[in-house]
Amino acid sequence: MISEAFIPAVTSLGTVALVLGCIIFYVSKKFHVEEDPTVLIVNDILPGVNCGACGYPSCGQFAEVLVETRDSSMSCPVGGPDLAEKLGTTLGISMAEPKPITAVLLCQGNNDNARETAQYFGIQDCWAATQTYIGPKQCKYSCIGLGSCIAFCDFGAMRLENGLVVIDKDLCTGCGACIPACPTGVLVMQEKKAERYFIACNSHDKGADTKKACDAGCIACRKCVKVCEDDAIVIEDFLARIDQEKCTACGKCIEVCPAKVNCILLERDLEDVKQKVAS
Amino acid sequence: MKTFKIGGIHPPESKFTENLAIEKMPVPAELAIPMNQHLGKPAKPVVKLGSEVKKGDLIGAADGFISANVHASTSGKVKGIKSLPHPSGQYAMTVLLTADGKDEWAEGLNTEPVNWRDLSKEDIIGRVKNAGIVGMGGAGFPTNVKLSPPPDKKIDTIILNGAECEPFLTADHRLMLESPDEVIAGLEIIASLFGERVKAFIGIESNKQDAIDTLSRKASPKGIEVVSLKTKYPQGAEKQLINAITGRTIEAGELPFDKGCLVQNIGTAVAVYEAVCKNKPLVDRIVTVSGLEIGKPKNIRAVIGTRFSDITAFCGEPKAGTNQVISGGPMMGKALFTLDVPVTKTTSGILFINNSSIEKARERTCIRCGKCVEVCPQGLAPWLLANVAQLRDFDEIQLLGLANCTECGSCTYVCPSRRELVHWIKYAKALVNKRQKRKSA
Amino acid sequence: MESVNLKVSNAPFVRSNDSIESVMYNVALALAPATVMSVYLFGMKALILTVFSILSCIGFEWLMDKARKKPNSCLDGSALVTGLLLALNVPANLPLWMVFIGAFIAIVASKHVFGGLGFNVFNPALVARVFLLISFPAAMTSWPVPMPFSFDVAIDMETAATPLGILKTEGLETVAASFSLMDGLLGNMNGSLGETSALALLAGAAWLWYKKYITMHIPLTLIGSVFLFTALFHLIDPGTYASPMFHMLTGGLVLGAFFMATDMVTSPLSIRGQLIFGLGCGLLTAVIRLWGGYPEGISFAILIMNSFVPLIDRWDLNDRKALQQKKQTTS
Repeated sequence: MISEAFIPAVTSLGTVALVLGCIIFYVSKKFHVEEDPTVLIVNDILPGVNCGACGYPSCGQFAEVLVETRDSSMSCPVGGPDLAEKLGTTLGISMAEPKPITAVLLCQGNNDNARETAQYFGIQDCWAATQTYIGPKQCKYSCIGLGSCIAFCDFGAMRLENGLVVIDKDLCTGCGACIPACPTGVLVMQEKKAERYFIACNSHDKGADTKKACDAGCIACRKCVKVCEDDAIVIEDFLARIDQEKCTACGKCIEVCPAKVNCILLERDLEDVKQKVAS
Repeated sequence: MKTFKIGGIHPPESKFTENLAIEKMPVPAELAIPMNQHLGKPAKPVVKLGSEVKKGDLIGAADGFISANVHASTSGKVKGIKSLPHPSGQYAMTVLLTADGKDEWAEGLNTEPVNWRDLSKEDIIGRVKNAGIVGMGGAGFPTNVKLSPPPDKKIDTIILNGAECEPFLTADHRLMLESPDEVIAGLEIIASLFGERVKAFIGIESNKQDAIDTLSRKASPKGIEVVSLKTKYPQGAEKQLINAITGRTIEAGELPFDKGCLVQNIGTAVAVYEAVCKNKPLVDRIVTVSGLEIGKPKNIRAVIGTRFSDITAFCGEPKAGTNQVISGGPMMGKALFTLDVPVTKTTSGILFINNSSIEKARERTCIRCGKCVEVCPQGLAPWLLANVAQLRDFDEIQLLGLANCTECGSCTYVCPSRRELVHWIKYAKALVNKRQKRKSA
Repeated sequence: MESVNLKVSNAPFVRSNDSIESVMYNVALALAPATVMSVYLFGMKALILTVFSILSCIGFEWLMDKARKKPNSCLDGSALVTGLLLALNVPANLPLWMVFIGAFIAIVASKHVFGGLGFNVFNPALVARVFLLISFPAAMTSWPVPMPFSFDVAIDMETAATPLGILKTEGLETVAASFSLMDGLLGNMNGSLGETSALALLAGAAWLWYKKYITMHIPLTLIGSVFLFTALFHLIDPGTYASPMFHMLTGGLVLGAFFMATDMVTSPLSIRGQLIFGLGCGLLTAVIRLWGGYPEGISFAILIMNSFVPLIDRWDLNDRKALQQKKQTTS
C-alpha cells in the first residue's frame, strides 16, 4: 500500500536529482576558473568589510593586487599592525606598518554651546537641512547634528549625542567612509596618538561672529600660538590648527584658551601607546 | 479656456488681498541690499564703506554674462558690506544702506517717458541690462540674457505670465488691474525685439476675470491675445504655461526658446517698460503680504532691501500663532529662519502662516495610492523618485527623469502619507549636481 | 517675535486634507451600508462578529507596532478596514476563536511580516479568508440562511450552501428554482456577511468613487471580464452554465471587485497595469467558478493577481526609464 505510492516517487525524484547533479558537475568542470590560492588565503585574512579605506572598492580586489604586485607599502588601515604582520608572513615580505588613523569631529557645538537659528522640520538628513537654509545652528561650519554620517559607518563607531556626532575611537577603524557624507566638512581623519591636542572648531568666521554663534568656537585670538614652544600652532583664515607632527603634547595651549568652553581638546586615542611612551 | 495637458492640483486659492489696492510702503531707515538677487553669479559691490549714493546709483555691477546689476533703492550712505541672511535661507554678501530720508533720484533717472519706438534694439536691451532687470516671478533669470537668445533660435511666440497660480499671491493681479497700460507697453517693447511676425499672448487664470476684462479691452486693438486659463496649479510654471497656450512641450534639457517661445512675468514687463521709457532701474517691486497670521494683509510697493521686520511693522504684527514665515508662495516658497532678510527682486510674497501640520507630521510609508503620479504635471512618478533618493541610488534616479522635475510641489501637496516627496527630489538633484561637479573636476 | 519661534520646513507649506486616516475611514464608511445590511439579514451574531473582528485586528496592530518598535498606528484605520473586510468575508455563525485566528493571519502574518502598511504583497483580509477556508472548510462553508430582524443570539441559525455552492454540487436547475435577481440585489440569499447585498455594496463603492479614493479601472474590467466570459459559456450551453447576471450578483464578486481588488497597496499603480490586473482577476474568477474545485473564485483570483503586481509595476518602471531616455537623447 505504502510502497505503491512510495517507490515511483522516490525513483522519479532520485532520477531527476541524479541527472541535475551530473549536469552541475559537468558545468563546474567545464567552466572552472583558475584562481591563485594565495589570493584566497589573503582574502581570508582581510577583515572583509569592503569599506574602501585602502583605495580599492573591495577586500577581494585589494588581495588580488597585493598578491600580484607584492607591494609592501600597501596597507589596510582597518586591520592595523596585526594584520600587516599576518600578511607579511603569508606573502614572505615585510609589510609597512600602517599608521592607525581615526575620524575626528572638529566641533563642540552641541545643544548647550551652539546658538540655534530656527527649528528644522524637513527630512532628517544633514544635506537636506543645509539645502533648505543655513542649518539649525548659526555656525555654518558646524556639525549639523542630524547624523547623515552615521549610516555610512560600517563599524557602529558613531552615535548622536546632544546634537553632535560622537566617535568611538576604539571602534573607529579609520576607513574614512563618513568623510564625504558630511556637508560641512567638519569630520576629518587624523592619526591616532597617545595624546592628541587639536582645535575642536571648524569655523572660519571672524572672531566676533564665531563668538556670537557658539561658546566653544575658536576666535583666532593667537594666545595658543604665542604660548606654543614647538611652533606647532598656526592660524589660517581665522582658525587655529595644530600641526600633529610638531606637537609634543605639552598641554600649555589648553591652559591659555580664553573661550568659554575651551576650544582645544585633548584626546587619548591609544591607551597602549600612551603606556609605551610613559615607560 | 485653455490648460496644460497632464496633472495639476487645485489648492484653496486664499487670495485675501485681491481687492486691496497697492500701497506704497515708506522707505525704512536702513536697507539691506543683497548682491545676489538673480540666477547666476552675484554682482560685485562697487561702493565703499561710507560712500554717499543717490537712489538708482549702481552699487553692484554684473559680474559675468549671467549676472545682473544692483542699484541703490534710496539715497543715503553705505553703512557696511558684509555677509547677512538672505531669503534663500543662506548668507549672502549684502550692502547695508542708511537712508537719508530724502529719497532723491540720481541724475538722469526716472525721467519723463520717452517713446520707445525711437530706440534701437541694442538700445532697448542695453537699457534693460543697465536697469538690472531679472525675471520677477521667482527664478530671477537676467532678462537681458533672455531677450537675446542665440541667433539660430527663432522666437515666434511671446507669452506674458499673468497666471499667478500660487495661492495667496496677488501682486501680479493688482499690477494688471492698476497699470494695464504699462503691462501692455512692456509686452510691446519685448515683442518689438523679435520682428513683426511674433504672436504675443497674455495668459491669465480664470479666477482673475476683472484682469482678463481690463487687459483684453486694451490689448486686442494692438493684436495681443489675452488667454483665459483654467484655475489650476501649476498653470503659471513656464513649461505648463507654454503647453497650455501653444500646445508645445518643453522636454528635459530644453529651454523655451528651443520651441520658439519666450515667457515673461507681468512684473518684469512693467519693469522693462519703466527701464526703457523712463530710464528707471529696478529698485522696487510689488509684494503681497498675506497669510492668516498677519494683522493687515496688504499689497505693498516696497523698495528692494526693505527688511521683513520693517514690513511687519507696516502691516501689523504677526499673530501669536505664526510659526512659519514664507518668502514667495506657499507651494514653492522658502521658509525663513529669521525676519532680518530683505525683499529682493524676486520676492513676490511674504506669508505669515500657522502650519499646524509640520509638528505632528512625520513621513509615513507610501500606501501606493498613486495620487502623486496622477497630479505630476511633468508625467513623472514622484513616489518612485523619492524612494530611490532615499536609497541614495543616484544613477537610477537620473534614469527615472529627475532632471524633468520642476519642483512644483503638487505631489507633496496631495500625498496622504505626508511624504516629503519634493524635498527628497531636491535633495537628490543637489547630490547629483555635486557628484557631477566632482567628476568633471 | 523671536526668530527661534520660526520653524523651517520645505515647500509646499499647504497640504491637502487627505491622510492615510481619511482614506481608510472613508473606505470603512463606504462599507457601512453593507455592514448594516448584514446585521439586518443575519442578526445579532453578525454584529458581534463584526465588532470582534475589528477589535482583534486593531489589537494585533497595536501589539505588532509595539513589538516592532514602530510609532503606534493602530488607529490609522487600516486595521479597522482589514477587520471589517474580514468580517464581511466570513459566514455569520463562524466561531469567534476562528475570527481571532483570521485576524492574526491578516495583521501579523500577511501585513507586518512583510513590513507593515504599504509593504504587504497580498490583501490581508483575503489571505485570512483563504487561510480560514482551507483550515476550517466545514465552518467556512456552512452559510446561515438570512433571517431578517433576528436579534436573538441564542437562536441556532439554519445553514445551507450559497447559490454558487449549490450550482457546483447540484447543478444549474436547482439553483434556478430558488434564486431570483431581486434576492441577489438586496442580499436575501445565503452567503458571507458582505457578499450578499450587491446594492448596499454598490452604494458604498459609488461614494468612494465620488470622493476619488478609487478609480473604476479595476472594478469595471474585473466585472466586465467575468460577465463576458460567463456570458460566452452561457450562450454556448445554457443548460450547464449559469447566466452572467447570476454570476454578477453572487459570491462576493461586487465586494471583491470594488473593495478588495482596489486596495491601493496591493494593486498596480498605472492605469495600464490596473486594466491588466482587473482583467486577470476577472478571468481567473470565472475559470475557478466554472471549472475549479471551489464554488467561489474571487478571493483566489485576487490573491493570485496580487502576486503579479510587482511584475506589472516593474514593467511600468522599465517603460518609464525607456521613455525618459528617449526624451534625453532626442533633446
